[in-house]
Amino acid sequence: MDTEIKASRDVQEEVRELIYRSCLYLDNQDFAGWLGLCAPDLRYTITAYSPEIRKEMVWLDHDREGMESLFDMLPKHNSDHSPLTRHASVYLVEHDGSANEASAVTSLVVYKTQLDGGATELFAVGKYFDTVRLEGETLLLTSRSVRLDTRELGIGSHLPL
Amino acid sequence: MGRTSKEWSQKPDLPETHYVDQRVYTDPQIFEEEKEKIFARTWMLACHESEVSEANDYRTYRHPAGANLIVVRGEDGEIRSFYNVCPHRGNTILYDPSGNAKRMTCIFHAWSFDYKGNCVGLPREKAGYCTEDGCSITRGDLGLREVKTQVGYGGFVYVNLDDECGPLEDHIGSALDCMIEQIDTEPLEVFTYHRAVVHTNYKLWHDTNSEFYHDYLHVHNRLTSMKQEGYFDRKMIPFPNGHAEVGSHEVHYEAYGGSKSREEAGFPGMSGNPWYMVDLFPGYTYNLRASVLRIDSQIPLGPSRTMIEYRTLGLKSDTPAQRKQRIQDHNVIWGPFGRNLHEDLLAVHGQGRAIPSGASYIIQAREEDSTIHDEIGMRHFYAEWSRRMGRLASDPSRKPAARDLTTTPGT
Repeated sequence: MDTEIKASRDVQEEVRELIYRSCLYLDNQDFAGWLGLCAPDLRYTITAYSPEIRKEMVWLDHDREGMESLFDMLPKHNSDHSPLTRHASVYLVEHDGSANEASAVTSLVVYKTQLDGGATELFAVGKYFDTVRLEGETLLLTSRSVRLDTRELGIGSHLPL
Repeated sequence: MGRTSKEWSQKPDLPETHYVDQRVYTDPQIFEEEKEKIFARTWMLACHESEVSEANDYRTYRHPAGANLIVVRGEDGEIRSFYNVCPHRGNTILYDPSGNAKRMTCIFHAWSFDYKGNCVGLPREKAGYCTEDGCSITRGDLGLREVKTQVGYGGFVYVNLDDECGPLEDHIGSALDCMIEQIDTEPLEVFTYHRAVVHTNYKLWHDTNSEFYHDYLHVHNRLTSMKQEGYFDRKMIPFPNGHAEVGSHEVHYEAYGGSKSREEAGFPGMSGNPWYMVDLFPGYTYNLRASVLRIDSQIPLGPSRTMIEYRTLGLKSDTPAQRKQRIQDHNVIWGPFGRNLHEDLLAVHGQGRAIPSGASYIIQAREEDSTIHDEIGMRHFYAEWSRRMGRLASDPSRKPAARDLTTTPGT
């Protein structure tokens, strides 16, 4: 196999692993672990399109510092403690070797499990649109755009998806 | 010491205006009566004019009394509302929540209607309805059911199912005077919309918007408001028809981690970071926090289920930078991932779970000279509710007396 093709496939596999790890970290509310996957210039957004008002909407938009602040304040808030579980399927990974970057599109389904009784319900569906940078041997998430199809989110959440 | 079952179910030793019987939040018969006596006869906020900004733009609205409506801007610029029901076989005419339709055409048999509600298309009309002796039905008989519509108070579209209703101004009165300069100086525009369906009674959400004692729920409000000078001087001001204003004060947004002053993106006539809030009977709220106006409008779905629509608005003239600032300010505490909205919804969700299964009475007895933690806002709402329903909120099996229908500070 051509060396460049093999390298590209290795990167694609590592990108998939990074995305799945990011879900596991958030599922476990290991925010330090999740931030460990992110570059200093991270941009994180949650967006959706509203057919009601026919406009693009932004519901969360933070740089890395903003995400750190969000996580730091979480224990001081009154939150629904029902855990969220992310089910991700990485659809596409495109590696741009010349820029040491890769982009990925991932289908996302988020479930919520009630603490009392353990019933699980669908919370949201959407996609991750990620950009990843290769720094030496390390892949870092530089942007994550969570694009939601679901707009009716019950009582909402204090957690990123 | 805990209370026995008998003690728990005893009426509180308080004036009857100071507590609410739990049946007011749970009884299906009372809910049906509310639809007839309150929602079918009151001006309801359907949408904002910016959602129908062009000729033939439409927006659908699920009216709390049960009717599905279409709000449409005509080619003459006027905004009108109709039942979203084809007069032929009762099909929904417009399925999408918004759009642009020069003719509103039913998919079933292609009957079509113009922006004035006239039937303007009836396939094979003469073949089906006319003989040499005349027509059994003509297009003139087949217009849509029109609903009273007015636009005002920030460009919001209000509808009233009661053909005999008085003008919107009679219902709102001067309740919104505190923020009228901010919302009526130049056109506003909705920039986010979402809704939450919660297993709770609609009045419990309105109660939460009407009392600020619950600021203890929000770390954001404790830091940016409660700990700041002037907070406890805010006055709750009741208005006729069950409305209430929460007096403004200066909010220190920078006291919450990652937030900053909103002064640069304020509304017209505003300086600093004021917070204006008005709760309008029976279930919508204007909430202006310096750079962002949030409107809550409730669509009760049952005694224990309500849909709350959230709209947030800025100025139509916003530069991209101003709009971005408003969006960021909004997202800190509002929206599905905001800090405060989730907390408020969690709390009313908890009430919706607990009240039907165990509460006897809801207490609204705090009196603090009508200042911010006084529960006069809730008492004032239930005085109007009792008047409209002909039922006493503290005992809905009884008719209210005159003394139960007035709300004055300290009572």
